[in-house]
Amino acid sequence: MIANRGEIALRINRACQELGVLTVAIYSEADRDSLHVRQADEAFCVGPGPAGRSYLNIPNIISTALITGCEAIHPGYGFLAENARFAEICNDHGLTFIGPKPSVIALMGDKATAKRVVGEAGVATTPGSDVLASVEEAQEAAVSLGYPVLLKATAGGGGRGMRVVHDASEMSRAYAGATAEAEASFKDGRVYAERLIRGPRHIEVQVLGDEFGNLVHLGERDCSVQKPAHQKLVEETPAPTLSTRSRNALHEMALRAARYVGYTNAGTLEFLATGDDAYFMEMNTRIQVEHPVTEMVYNIDLVKEQIRIASGEPLGYTQRDLVARGHAIECRINAEDPRNNFSPAAGTVSNLVFPGGPGIRVDTHLYAGASISPFYDSMIAKIVAFGDTRDIAIARMERALRETLIEGVNTTIALCLEILATPAFRQGRYDIEFIPSQILSNGEVRTSR
Amino acid sequence: MHRAYVGIGSNLGDRVLNLDRALAAIAAFGRILRRSSFYQTAPWGNPAQPWFLNAVVLLQTRLEPRALLASLRVVEEELGRVRSSRWGPRAMDLDLLLYDDREIDEPDLQVPHPHMHERAFVLVPLAEIDDRFETLRDALPAAELAGVVPLERESFTPMPEERALSASAHVRALAQFLAAGEVMRVRVQRADLDIEVAAQPHRSHERSGDRTSADSSLARIDTIKADLVGVFHAGRPAPLEGDVFDADRELGYIEALGIRTSIHSMGAGRLVSVAVRDGAAVEYGQPLFLVARGK
Repeated sequence: MIANRGEIALRINRACQELGVLTVAIYSEADRDSLHVRQADEAFCVGPGPAGRSYLNIPNIISTALITGCEAIHPGYGFLAENARFAEICNDHGLTFIGPKPSVIALMGDKATAKRVVGEAGVATTPGSDVLASVEEAQEAAVSLGYPVLLKATAGGGGRGMRVVHDASEMSRAYAGATAEAEASFKDGRVYAERLIRGPRHIEVQVLGDEFGNLVHLGERDCSVQKPAHQKLVEETPAPTLSTRSRNALHEMALRAARYVGYTNAGTLEFLATGDDAYFMEMNTRIQVEHPVTEMVYNIDLVKEQIRIASGEPLGYTQRDLVARGHAIECRINAEDPRNNFSPAAGTVSNLVFPGGPGIRVDTHLYAGASISPFYDSMIAKIVAFGDTRDIAIARMERALRETLIEGVNTTIALCLEILATPAFRQGRYDIEFIPSQILSNGEVRTSR
Repeated sequence: MHRAYVGIGSNLGDRVLNLDRALAAIAAFGRILRRSSFYQTAPWGNPAQPWFLNAVVLLQTRLEPRALLASLRVVEEELGRVRSSRWGPRAMDLDLLLYDDREIDEPDLQVPHPHMHERAFVLVPLAEIDDRFETLRDALPAAELAGVVPLERESFTPMPEERALSASAHVRALAQFLAAGEVMRVRVQRADLDIEVAAQPHRSHERSGDRTSADSSLARIDTIKADLVGVFHAGRPAPLEGDVFDADRELGYIEALGIRTSIHSMGAGRLVSVAVRDGAAVEYGQPLFLVARGK
């Protein structure tokens, strides 16, 4: 069963088809006409539009899996992907949850605990606090860490429940905001504080482990091009301007941490890198949106590997067998208006042309006539460009973005083109301040095409 | 009464079963006067593509073209998602080919069907039941005609699911007519089923337009839907179409994860349609029963 929607549901369906595995899709009433419903071998409606009553409706999802005779559930990303309880419920019903063990999800899902555990493994982590029960505790923690600090949801991800706090005067407001947002997004309002590292790069390492203790990394991805709410927009691998020494150290840290917690299946360890230093930030215990760039340079199908591993097969290769080749970049195309504070744009796609040609991959659930629902994430497509060198990949991405036509909704295509054209991006010299400092001024896109 | 030719096609799963189901569903929109044999159509060019099964029916109906097209879409959707077996088929194509002698050319409704004259899989079955089309059929290239061969069948016994399926199609179809505001009055008549629903007219509609007085004795129809995913079990005694109940009645339950959730008639009424089979898997929002309220 594919317990997700959108492009990742299609991505999983593709992997299953190639493996000869039959699929059951679930959908909400708002997604009745979605592509994943049509492409799966079977589809069941599990609830109305709001995700809380459909894609997060555990009883209906499990019931569907049991009725249709599913053996395993792939959760994709978001929704139930990092819900340890859901993974446990799957196992209780004899369904294989395609991901790590529930205990590992729980361990790494709690961001504060994850940092402590990874620290035990001897991996550097960003200086941070435990869970903060009150504004007063938050203020104390911030003073001992030193302002500015970052408030983060312990159940968080995707930038939700996150606030930058520059000084004590901002704390009570930020604490209330982060807690409320975390509660709304994850039904878990707990937050903790972290020292804000200025101008870091967001670099993450992909790992893959089987149930026999074999563990490999598949290089890193630089995801520093992020929108103001810490939402990734452009990702690439390998990370530009990273010294071989730092790169190897990063891979080594990721393996050490993953091995320490007994990690199985696909996962990603996120680091904040500044200069030659890197600090473990958090681990995502699932497949990630930006996984295709890794697939391009390693010539591997990560989703198929996930399914293979979950069915009890050994990896069948070692670190030495894995050699990356070339460079890959991904641009996320979101249905939102960059000139209007990235507000999500719902609507109907009236006309649609996607790019093609050498080195281009498009993962999308769009089709001409598709309506974009206000209920879900605004990402509508991922365009991935591959090249032997970074310059070639950038050139391909630029022409691919120009080939792309999506009529009917506002998108981030023009913004992505603008990012690619910036000298700082060209030279690979950017950090997570890049979009706020170089692209946006006063929270809006400075120029538009 | 109008006469419409409808093309039916399927290229996935148990195609014979699909066509049987489509026929049963279409019969609910009037009366099938003639029906062609089933024809197997070889795929063009790519032999890896699955073969098609096609047929054409002549339908006598009261539905106006747009309402008929909307109903066909509903059946298409209904049958395209039918889960007869675990890995059920999806594809079901229904085309409105001809409607009386009308010529309609609107973006979403074109009659006669614009490509019917080029398609062997339409003209061969059509000519079988209406000899006016023999000339057109014979004008097609021999190679194309050769690709359309009659399917040999042992019997034409309707499938047991026929009733449940077509009833479920009624539910959606009726709801659509009324929502579209195109139709004032719908009557579906079959041996075991008789539904009539009326809506207030928005504007005059051809000849029926001047018949404005709505019959106040007509019933309101409620659809009882599944609000969870599970397996439906009929109550005892099993609810039957035509059952009348003076008060709320338990019609069955949905079993999910070992828990039974009762399905009620939601008050008094007459059960006009049972849209679900005992023991069938049901999804969220799936119509289960159609209950007439009032008289």
